[in-house]
Amino acid sequence: MKKYIIKRLVVSVITLLVVLLILFILLQLMPGSPFNDEKLTPEQQALLYQKYGLDQPIIVQFFKYVTNMLHGDFGVSYNISKNTPISELLKTRLPVSLRIGAQSVVIGAIIGLVLGIVAALKHNTGWDTLTTIVSVIGVSVPSYVFALVLAYCFGFKHKWFPMLYTNRMPFQSSVLPSIALCMFTIASIARFTRSEMLEVLDSDYILLAESKGITGAQLIWKHVLRNTLIPVITVLAPLIVGLMTGSLVVEKIFAIPGIGSLLVTAIQSNDYNVVIVLSFIYSAMYIAIMLIVDVLYGVIDPRIRVSKEGGHD
Amino acid sequence: MNAKKLLALLLALVMVLGLAACGTQPAEPTEPSEPAETTGSELRIHLITNVMSLDSGAATDGDSFEVIADFTDGLMQLDADGNAIPAVAETYDVSEDGKTYTFHLREDAVWSNGTPVTADDFVFAWQRVVTPAFASEYNYMMSDCGQIKNAAAILAGEKDPTELGVTAVDEHTLMVELENPVPFFLGLMVFPTFYPINREFCESVGDKYGTTYDTVLCNGAYLLDSNYEPACTSFSLTKNPNYYDADKISIETLKYQVITDSQTALLAYQNNELDTVILSGEQVEQVSDDPCFMTYNAGYLWYITVNQDQYDFLANVNFRKALSAAYDRDALCSTIIKDGSGAAYFPVPEQLATGPDGNDFREDAGSYKEQIGTYDDAVNYLAAAKEELGQDTFEIELLVEDDTTAKNVAAYIQECWNKLDGVTVTLKTETKKQRVEDIQNGDYCTCLTRWGPDFADPMTYLNMWTTGCTNNYGLWSNPDYDALIADCTSGELATDPNARWQALIQADKMIMDEMVILPVYQKANATMIRDGVEGIEFHAVAINRVFKNATVG
Repeated sequence: MKKYIIKRLVVSVITLLVVLLILFILLQLMPGSPFNDEKLTPEQQALLYQKYGLDQPIIVQFFKYVTNMLHGDFGVSYNISKNTPISELLKTRLPVSLRIGAQSVVIGAIIGLVLGIVAALKHNTGWDTLTTIVSVIGVSVPSYVFALVLAYCFGFKHKWFPMLYTNRMPFQSSVLPSIALCMFTIASIARFTRSEMLEVLDSDYILLAESKGITGAQLIWKHVLRNTLIPVITVLAPLIVGLMTGSLVVEKIFAIPGIGSLLVTAIQSNDYNVVIVLSFIYSAMYIAIMLIVDVLYGVIDPRIRVSKEGGHD
Repeated sequence: MNAKKLLALLLALVMVLGLAACGTQPAEPTEPSEPAETTGSELRIHLITNVMSLDSGAATDGDSFEVIADFTDGLMQLDADGNAIPAVAETYDVSEDGKTYTFHLREDAVWSNGTPVTADDFVFAWQRVVTPAFASEYNYMMSDCGQIKNAAAILAGEKDPTELGVTAVDEHTLMVELENPVPFFLGLMVFPTFYPINREFCESVGDKYGTTYDTVLCNGAYLLDSNYEPACTSFSLTKNPNYYDADKISIETLKYQVITDSQTALLAYQNNELDTVILSGEQVEQVSDDPCFMTYNAGYLWYITVNQDQYDFLANVNFRKALSAAYDRDALCSTIIKDGSGAAYFPVPEQLATGPDGNDFREDAGSYKEQIGTYDDAVNYLAAAKEELGQDTFEIELLVEDDTTAKNVAAYIQECWNKLDGVTVTLKTETKKQRVEDIQNGDYCTCLTRWGPDFADPMTYLNMWTTGCTNNYGLWSNPDYDALIADCTSGELATDPNARWQALIQADKMIMDEMVILPVYQKANATMIRDGVEGIEFHAVAINRVFKNATVG
């Protein structure tokens, strides 16, 4: 297992470097440049390119950037917050997005799982129908619609929660956005859990377990749920990254100082360094979560661990 | 039956979680709409984008300028009517040739670290802006607009920044030398690019100057609070007790809230979380009956530039006149834009500049509504153009940026132009950055674009249509026009305000006679201001909103 993880970590670092290089190339292909406002003359643009080292060949910029990155220097913002080091810019924004994302993942996963399990166990009853309805609504209605409805009902009408994010009440302000964001997770997890669990419940080994006299909670926990969770975790992984990195529109509606809105503004204004760092964080989180998921598989189902170790040793 | 127990347990879990998610609200009696710990009066202000820079030498956007002006005073400031009046400069003298300005600074202006604001702070700030390595995006304010001695040469790398024509005669006397007389020079001094920066402090923080609250110094009516973080969505400013005019400042705290989503912004205003909100065009209908609703001139002129260099038919005056007459500007403003923006029948907007006679430029120069004509005139112009060109069909591409209002306006114009016999119009939508790049490279046919004034003088618009100006995207060229503008800038007319004013009116007419650009509309901003809030000043140039004379009832 140790060897496997180390191997995976090495591959991750290489992957990240490749991602970074691709980002550099893609940014060059992006229309416009950070400095082509109508008020800028070509001479001024040249001065700005020179100042930020953008006049150098792409490969030189890349190696310079990687070297600086290893020293903890992620460059400065060109537009969003002029000359501010990116680390400074993210220092307050990243935790906000992570916190709201984590909250919605936890709420979404638990409620989704519970709904899915209940629906499967109470197959073809009112519970099942309820889960299906919730799933359909959650999957088909975009999160910003929930966000608007929640902001209007609980922020504006009833004033239970702040309508706008405020640093004075970080928890209260994060409740509505977390709920708006978790709806999709609830729906997809519930749907997935339900169908997986129905399949597992129908399988031969469960019949065998039942015929051996294992019943009730023990059967559900030890045999059904474990086998159900594997595919559920696989779908949960990308959802986690999506939520952690924030949702642009939900951040916009609640005026949350997170990184989702930052990324879009950065892309629109060609703020290269911000785009690079945010995409890099996105990739790093994705890779990290995939790694955790792979390790989790082994924990949940020892058979996977055995076969993997066998395969890599 | 164990499954039932499990189910019960799970259900209980859901309920607990459900309660946890919303459980805080009954226990917490605080009302989020009521800001906590307020001691005095406060004004809660809406911003659409975050502040991009606190560095007066590096900032380029209106929102940053507004906030910088909250906490920094320059030599001059704007009064309610948009005239430049003394701020840090108590008095000033202008030499007879109009090329030397001497500012006598007030002695009671201090920075927030206690050091006095001196003439050297201006010298330092201005030299910094023209330093090529600093690459200020607004350095042309010093060279092209301000005509400060040696500024252009310094930017070209031919001279050292210390040779800039600005000198600290003594601690409180600043002398500025110009290459040419600039009639609107005092008006330029309200622009943040010309604000002072404390030399010692700026050098001590280095490149980080103006990125956080503790990397700037304040000398204005307000002090930036420590809750300001780079690109934050909410921050505040508190009244500066050491401000020389502190007794005239009524509001204790300015609280800014950045909300990009216009619907949320309006809800926040209705929820009493904001005292003033900026509206989008489509919201105007919803609130236009509200007595708190108002619009103000935003200064921008939207116009269509036509590429006369690459398209022969666009180089034909009658064809351009046909295009210009074909769309109904009044209908466009009242049915499509709807935010209070006004029809533009002129190349220099209203309420931009006041002449030596005290009149608005447009009052003196008049409107070209009659001359531009209507759709019927367009048909006649087109017939004449067809004859002159010997061409019957014309394919036009109208380039527009990816913005709702701009796209709607372009679609309307497309429809009007398509009605003209033989004219086929296609729309091309691009990001703003790409659109700007394309028209700068001459890679377009026609393009809906805009220009915001840099200073309160018609020259900020008229100068663009001279040969060789980088903003002359249509590449129209007329030696008489060039000579007229040059005369107003550096010739004899530069020292004769009345004659210059007349010459500018003449230049304005030349642009419309030749239909060099196709004016569309003059942008207004729609806003709501809560009852009891008085005295917020709106300006089309430099600082859009000024709050220091406002009161909260």
